Amino acid sequence: MFLNEVQEQVLETTRSFVDAVIRPAAEALDREERFPSEIYDQMAELGLFGIGVPEELGGPGFDTLTYAVVMEELSRGYASIADQCGLVELISTLLVRHGTESQRKILPEILSMRRKVAYCITEPEAGTDVSGIRTTAERDGNGWVLNGGKIWIHNAPVADTGFVLARTNKDAGNRGMSIFIVDLHAQGVDRGPKEHKMGQRASQVGGLDFQDVRLGPDALLGEEGRGFHMMMSVLDKGRVGIASLAVGIAQAGLEAAVDYAGTRKQFGKHISEFQGVQWLLADMAKDIEAARLLVYSAASKIDRGLDATRSCSMAKCFAGDMAVARTADAVQVFGGSGYIRGFEVERLYRDAKITQIYEGTNQIQRMIIARELLRKGARS
Amino acid sequence: MKILVPVKRVVDYNVKVRVKADGSGVDLSGVKMSMNPFDEIALEEAVRLKEKGLATEVVAVSAGVGQARDTLRTALAMGADRAILVETSTDVNDDLEPLAVAKILAKLVETEKPDLVLMGKQAIDNDMNATGQMLAALLGWGQATFASQVDIKDGAATVTREVDGGLQTIRVNLPAVVTADLRLNEPRYVSLPNIMKAKKKPLEEKKISDIGVDITPRLQVVRTVEPAQRSAGVKVGSVDELIEKLKNQAGVI
Ligand SMILES: Cc1cc2nc3c(=O)[nH]c(=O)nc-3n(C[C@H](O)[C@H](O)[C@H](O)COP(=O)(O)OP(=O)(O)OC[C@H]3O[C@@H](n4cnc5c(N)ncnc54)[C@H](O)[C@@H]3O)c2cc1C
Ligand SMILES: Cc1cc2nc3c(=O)[nH]c(=O)nc-3n(C[C@H](O)[C@H](O)[C@H](O)COP(=O)(O)OP(=O)(O)OC[C@H]3O[C@@H](n4cnc5c(N)ncnc54)[C@H](O)[C@@H]3O)c2cc1C
Repeated sequence: MFLNEVQEQVLETTRSFVDAVIRPAAEALDREERFPSEIYDQMAELGLFGIGVPEELGGPGFDTLTYAVVMEELSRGYASIADQCGLVELISTLLVRHGTESQRKILPEILSMRRKVAYCITEPEAGTDVSGIRTTAERDGNGWVLNGGKIWIHNAPVADTGFVLARTNKDAGNRGMSIFIVDLHAQGVDRGPKEHKMGQRASQVGGLDFQDVRLGPDALLGEEGRGFHMMMSVLDKGRVGIASLAVGIAQAGLEAAVDYAGTRKQFGKHISEFQGVQWLLADMAKDIEAARLLVYSAASKIDRGLDATRSCSMAKCFAGDMAVARTADAVQVFGGSGYIRGFEVERLYRDAKITQIYEGTNQIQRMIIARELLRKGARS
Repeated sequence: MKILVPVKRVVDYNVKVRVKADGSGVDLSGVKMSMNPFDEIALEEAVRLKEKGLATEVVAVSAGVGQARDTLRTALAMGADRAILVETSTDVNDDLEPLAVAKILAKLVETEKPDLVLMGKQAIDNDMNATGQMLAALLGWGQATFASQVDIKDGAATVTREVDGGLQTIRVNLPAVVTADLRLNEPRYVSLPNIMKAKKKPLEEKKISDIGVDITPRLQVVRTVEPAQRSAGVKVGSVDELIEKLKNQAGVI
């Protein structure tokens, strides 16, 4: 109803691919914690990476709402795979907006997944408070030398190129950080072990260590000192992406729960005939729909060039909380089975939790919503 | 070589169809519609022939309600070069009979002059399996139905057909009508860049009055009923019990 003909077509094609290829693979990928290159290759062929990259730069050039639709569908198949799509979207958006012509030359490789990327912000002392980063890039001739370390970086164990936030001026606060495009096969780059996580276990997450890594003059993305602002400029879209991802996880849980309730019998009846189960399903469905509409509203605001900050935070916060609560309900509908490995809803519940944490924790989203309310008024 | 591929908008194969309360047909309100799967296969084959350099142009055509535009957009995204819509009605409940469609296609063949009409063997809504055959007859062309393999060479198509007893290979001179069976190929997923490109491809719209074909129905639907409910199976405890039930209850051994 909210999508135009082209967005519907994108939804269709993504949905059939997800149902045939991604959703059936998710259980094994979670169990094996494996990077699914074979699926990424197929996704690249379908143009499912870099959805917003304009046609003249080799992407399909879709708007944020289309991106949201794709993210929800991918995540309905498997959240780790959606998160890879989100990561590529973020990096390619940065390159399109701030990259020089020569820096953008790597876009086709990124979109085809021949070059795997990582977005490297978080450090042991700098999670929510990014200004605490200690990684530094110091001028050296016409280039820089990078020192420091990052943790919990998606793709770190496998990535070829890192987009690394580093301090270039110790005294300039948020204006003293810059983003560098770093060859992760270069001398001085060390990768930590892969982390073993609660959920989204096919995502390869780990640390990176930089010791006197030499960067050429072309490594700086955008202007020196503008790293923090560039990062903030893609946050809105990133939050829409994670909100959609959360909706997708919950939608998969709802589908599984409805199917199960219609087949599982207790007391001589399908459990779907018990009101106690019906109300669980109804609450799941209404909250998922509400979250989806928040996502569509936030995405549409971005696409229309309106101030979307409040909407994006509301969508991310609501969808993340909703996904955790409603996948717990899906487990509940499954009874004991829902608690056993191998049942989809067990994985979904684990996959959902991180949506309240990354891309700005949900406390931070509430802070933003409150700040916007108090600054700009209660009406949006 | 130019290929014409007719595509029909039908109830999506995943939809559990319901019969209307008055038995006049299937309830189409709010039901998801898609391209007939056999037409997808035909279109995929046409696009592959073009990719192999054997065809120069692939034209998709659909007859029916205006909403078939969506089906044609999908066809364009799958690789058709242009599309033609023949609007025959504004009521989604109106279904065209095979002969009417064959006549419309025959008219389009006159102006488009394709060397090959590649189409689905049947539509999954009414399962008529007649349009291709009727079209070939109207045009006086050769036909190769139920194709599971198509090779084009020297102005002829060598077609492997899936028949009851196995596979039959025939050769038809072009121009010809070929209808696709399930195993001819596996249609590709539509890619996102191609969806974007399809927006810029030409989609020509005609009205049935422009074509001058009589599509008055000749068939009358007497009644439509749901298939009988399958009754639940039973679990048996032993081979002996199974044999006993097959003998005495099912009466099959
Ligand atoms: C699976 C996974 C993948 C990740 N991928 C990446 C990646 O690719 N790149 C990257 O750079 N990072 C990545 N991260 C890191 C992620 O972004 C951080 O975990 C996140 O920013 C939170 O930081 P933190 O873990 O240090 O928590 P902290 O900042 O230590 O927060 C701890 C708690 O305190 C709360 N809190 C903090 N400050 C406030 C405040 N002012 N008011 C109220 N509450 C507050 C938080 O909300 C949270 O509940 C990933 C993390 C995980 C787990
Ligand atoms: C880790 C684990 C350890 C276990 N240990 C033991 C053990 O040691 N011994 C043992 O015997 N069992 C054990 N169990 C089984 C456990 O007791 C059952 O899983 C539990 O009783 C629920 O039954 P069920 O899983 O068949 O769910 P179901 O009964 O199928 O229930 C499915 C859903 O339907 C709901 N429902 C069912 N009937 C109604 C109704 N009339 N009205 C409203 N809602 C209804 C349920 O609340 C639930 O949400 C264990 C299970 C697990 C997961």
